[in-house]
Amino acid sequence: MENASDHDPVDVLIIGAGASGGAVAWSLSDTRMRILCLEQGDWMKSSKYPTTTNNWEAQQFGAFNIDPNVRGLDTDYPINGDASPIDVVNFNGVGGSTVLYAAHFPRLHPSDFKVKTLDGVADDWPVDYEQLEPYFVENDRMMGVSGLTGDPMYPPKKMPLPPLPIGLVGETMAKGYNKLGWHWWPSDGAVISQPYEGRDKCLNLGTCMSGCAQGGKSSTDITYWPQAIRSGVELRTRCRVRDITLNSDGMADGAIYYDADGNEHFQKAEIVIMACNGVGTPRILLNSKSGQFPDGLANRSGLVGKNLMFHPISVVRGVFEERLDSHKGPPACCIISKEFYETDPDRDFVRGYNMQISRGPGPLTMALRGHASGDIPWGPGHHEAFREQFDHIASIVNVCEDLPEESNTVTLDPQLTDSNGIPAPKITYRISENSRRMLAHGLARGREVMQAAGAKQVDTVDLLRPAGWHLLGTARMGNEPETSVVNSWGRSHDVKNLFVVDGSIFVTSGGVNPTSTIQALALYIADTMKKNLANLFD
Amino acid sequence: MTNDVNATAHPFSGRRQRSLSALLDTVLPASEDGSMPSARELDFLAYVREQAQEFMPKLAAIVDHFDDEFSNQPLSTRLAAVEDYSKTEKQAFNGLLFHIYDCYYQNSRVCELIGVRPGAPFPQGYAVEPGDLSLLDTVLAHPRSYRS
Repeated sequence: MENASDHDPVDVLIIGAGASGGAVAWSLSDTRMRILCLEQGDWMKSSKYPTTTNNWEAQQFGAFNIDPNVRGLDTDYPINGDASPIDVVNFNGVGGSTVLYAAHFPRLHPSDFKVKTLDGVADDWPVDYEQLEPYFVENDRMMGVSGLTGDPMYPPKKMPLPPLPIGLVGETMAKGYNKLGWHWWPSDGAVISQPYEGRDKCLNLGTCMSGCAQGGKSSTDITYWPQAIRSGVELRTRCRVRDITLNSDGMADGAIYYDADGNEHFQKAEIVIMACNGVGTPRILLNSKSGQFPDGLANRSGLVGKNLMFHPISVVRGVFEERLDSHKGPPACCIISKEFYETDPDRDFVRGYNMQISRGPGPLTMALRGHASGDIPWGPGHHEAFREQFDHIASIVNVCEDLPEESNTVTLDPQLTDSNGIPAPKITYRISENSRRMLAHGLARGREVMQAAGAKQVDTVDLLRPAGWHLLGTARMGNEPETSVVNSWGRSHDVKNLFVVDGSIFVTSGGVNPTSTIQALALYIADTMKKNLANLFD
Repeated sequence: MTNDVNATAHPFSGRRQRSLSALLDTVLPASEDGSMPSARELDFLAYVREQAQEFMPKLAAIVDHFDDEFSNQPLSTRLAAVEDYSKTEKQAFNGLLFHIYDCYYQNSRVCELIGVRPGAPFPQGYAVEPGDLSLLDTVLAHPRSYRS
């Protein structure tokens, strides 16, 4: 083991260089503190992304797959998902899962922070939309977000860039929503519709989820990180943290990590910030056992790893007579409907979901999906069936709010480990009855929209399995140490110099993609830390 | 015997080549109207060598599953044989299908026929219709708001 003195102590140690790690690093960089981020993955090279090659689609099934168990890269850790109907998907590298995310960028709604008060379920957050609003604005500016001002389903908000083209898919589906009198709006997307901050605009490659060679998609490796590094933050890659260490006063004093060659290191720090997402953060905390914390660091509440929330997703797919150019454009950033977002007492579930209109796949994916579903046979008849569907597809992706349940957990797998021998996370999760009803409602309403839009064929996926992008709730915020892991500004109740800034701290999940809110929270926490530097540990 | 010698020198000479060609034509034959080519018209082996070298031994094993007569049989008989194989050796068949489709749908001629610009999407990208945002007038005509 390398001697601790080989690494100079730092003021702030951030674990994870993804959505929240980039945001908190950049925000804290103006304090002139010495800030170091440890990231288990590598920097990405845009020239290596699949769309620079002819076999771009095939790579999405291998090295650029969204499922770490399929990718199996050295920089990934395995995840035991046998006890979950939803698989965790993520990416490990500078930028984290923003490298492969779809960049759909809605904010949580004001009502999402008050679910107990408004709907009598789960808990209210200790922060609200109004407190986070300036940080949403700052984050939109830093990331580069495109959208259309004026959506009546939100408080007034101004977007930095005009909306992305909704295309034939969006226009066709919008007409369906209009026939039914239902809400829709061009999606807010972390994809730049115009040149912005030295980056050229989106080229409509259609491959957001395998990395953006153009740099039009706003992943934090090309947004926050270059600015944070220019401001003096050090980012050390291929450093996989095993555990957070404690001193005799019960304060975090650093982290033990492995480098790419498997050598063990210790990095001393005054402040430790966890930014590893809702699976990675509880994994490290639970693995950081000590005499003071035999059940895992900062876990006197027993809630680290509990209350895991995904967004259960169902899909309604329509095939249209007319060609929709479905494979062109950002797949997920088209139009969105919030018609069923808020609780309605006439429905058989509480809370709600959003309906995202998704464009269609490339030809290889289309053929393979058609084989899996039985819609496009191999052999005679393949071409005719393929021709009817390819570029004639629009999909509705129903993203349902998931309510917290302590029985949905991230724990340490007793056998499975990563390449450094660190226990892998095990996911134990079941779909609640409320979510099942919501999913069914979304399927039925989705069919109505598809028919109104003129689809000649409609089929559905009741529950999408590779859909665990949104990893939330496993180190929840709250004012009471007995019922939460961190306080209203991300500080551990148990360890006063330990912070969590990723999706783990969500109290409830809302019914939209969480990255915008995760980053706004990270900026809010960083700002609160800066305002309280004199008495940060009181 | 000659075939065996050739098979050692080149894994897809002689009988194997004929069987592979028949297999490709069974899995992905030309369209009925003749507009789309059969997969046998593409250089599938070049694709495997260049993009999926690790698949070569599996491909040889799959092809060897089909007997000497396979390539001489009518399409209906070949279809039945491949259908049977796809059920008994599902994983192997799905691997084969993946590579046949991957080869086929990145072929320039095929891409043009299905309306996709051949080659890597980057750096040229695509143009996308902006869409008619005046359709939002209908949305704005319905009074609605967020809850807070």
